[in-house]
Amino acid sequence: MSPDRQGRLIFALPNKGRMRDPALRLLESAGIRGLGEERAYLSKTTDPEIDLLSVRAADIPVYVYYGIADLGITGRDIVAETGLEVYELADLGFGCCDLVVAVSRESGIRSPSEIPHGSKVATEFPNVTKAYFDELGVQVETITLKGAVEITPRLGLATAIVDISSTGATLEKNRLAPIGRVMSSSARLICNKISYKTKYDKVEAITNKLKGLSP
Amino acid sequence: MTTQIARMLASKAKDEGRLCYITNCIRYLESRNLSLREYWQAGAELIGGERVGADAEAVALALDMLDSIGIRASVDLGSMGVIRKLMERYRIMDYKRLARAIASKSIDDLRKVTCDSKALETFTMLMTKRGGAELIGEVAEKAGCLGEDYEYFRSLYRALEAYGCASRVFVDLSTIREMAYYNGLVFEIFTPALGLPIGGGGRYDAMMKDFGIDTKATGFALSIDLCAKALGGSDVKKNNDTLKVYYREGFREKAIGLARILRGEGKCCTLDAYRGERSGILVGERTVLIESGEEYEP
Repeated sequence: MSPDRQGRLIFALPNKGRMRDPALRLLESAGIRGLGEERAYLSKTTDPEIDLLSVRAADIPVYVYYGIADLGITGRDIVAETGLEVYELADLGFGCCDLVVAVSRESGIRSPSEIPHGSKVATEFPNVTKAYFDELGVQVETITLKGAVEITPRLGLATAIVDISSTGATLEKNRLAPIGRVMSSSARLICNKISYKTKYDKVEAITNKLKGLSP
Repeated sequence: MTTQIARMLASKAKDEGRLCYITNCIRYLESRNLSLREYWQAGAELIGGERVGADAEAVALALDMLDSIGIRASVDLGSMGVIRKLMERYRIMDYKRLARAIASKSIDDLRKVTCDSKALETFTMLMTKRGGAELIGEVAEKAGCLGEDYEYFRSLYRALEAYGCASRVFVDLSTIREMAYYNGLVFEIFTPALGLPIGGGGRYDAMMKDFGIDTKATGFALSIDLCAKALGGSDVKKNNDTLKVYYREGFREKAIGLARILRGEGKCCTLDAYRGERSGILVGERTVLIESGEEYEP
């Protein structure tokens, strides 16, 4: 948090992906509209006290944790994966999905606890996956990938995957069957802990406005 | 450092005292954690003493220390005692999940810990409100317990008034310290210039008891790295008043004598053999200021 912008508030939003458009629409309904170019990382808004920061959804908890951004919108799954301490002020009700364990339909495995010890699990969420299987008491090797996780069981890279699923269509397409839910996720309004204290009135006002507008 | 200090005091059977330290600390962190493994910490511990007086002294001293280096900070107070009493009141067993929900102000997570509507109301109030001692009164009224805690916080604020720092101290019961040994007041110190708490502390009587000494204990620690960052690096006071004392061959001891006098007066000085430097104090037959050649009298 740089001292020269102590009176201002930086709001981090995903610069692409499933949460960007609903997040922008929600902010617009709250009277906060970006004034810069669409692809600009940092832009002013119609609210003179708020700037928008457009970065990857996965990086938003990092910007918020360190106080570079005061507020942010990102998925609960992403916050859990980073493990960083931020305030989760509101469930914004969009971007709903489940983080599920899925296996090949032909595998015969019907629940996560049936996954054999030492199996490989491919995921974009290695920390959440490890915590889930640790709690379950199943030892697995986590393979971290940056996308196209669904293909790994068919290629023999992994026995199971842990990935987000909202309609189940992608799993179906890749002949995968969901066998367990790791967590439910949706878009959250997150806040830096110190910003919450030092910019309390503004943060509270925005939180209440967004809560009132959420589906 | 608190655990080590508690253990050291217990091994010496000391149940009273005031200690302070500046040291480097090393901690284990999982590889995904982005924080530093080694960091500098300055702290103070108050063993024994009366509970309200000692807690107020710790909070006021932390703020005084930061004021003295030019950092205007504030403090948020929480209470592990209040959380535990409310857990008992509403028969909540899973402390870890509750603490996680409270620390992240996540009502969603709170709903997974309890379905009791009264508990949800009380904890929601505790997680979303921030104010003075009256906040404890409101929570106490809702929960129908915590009368003693309300009295404690009122007394604490009176003591903080006397220290002149009450206006910078707030109650936010979602303030939970990571360390499991705190059992009473906990606090976090913060400044608008940083996105992370600059320090924190709290009461840890129970840990002293675990080490075999039945006494009270409170304390705090400040992150020196974050203090430097809050000061913006270049704003850190640099000592430009260091006097450079040089000596000609055969006059080293005379120069040492001068340095001792200067240091005794609280001045900073360095000593070295003269190699043609153009400023400083030169000790020879005469002691002179190099630039002007005038006689130097300490």
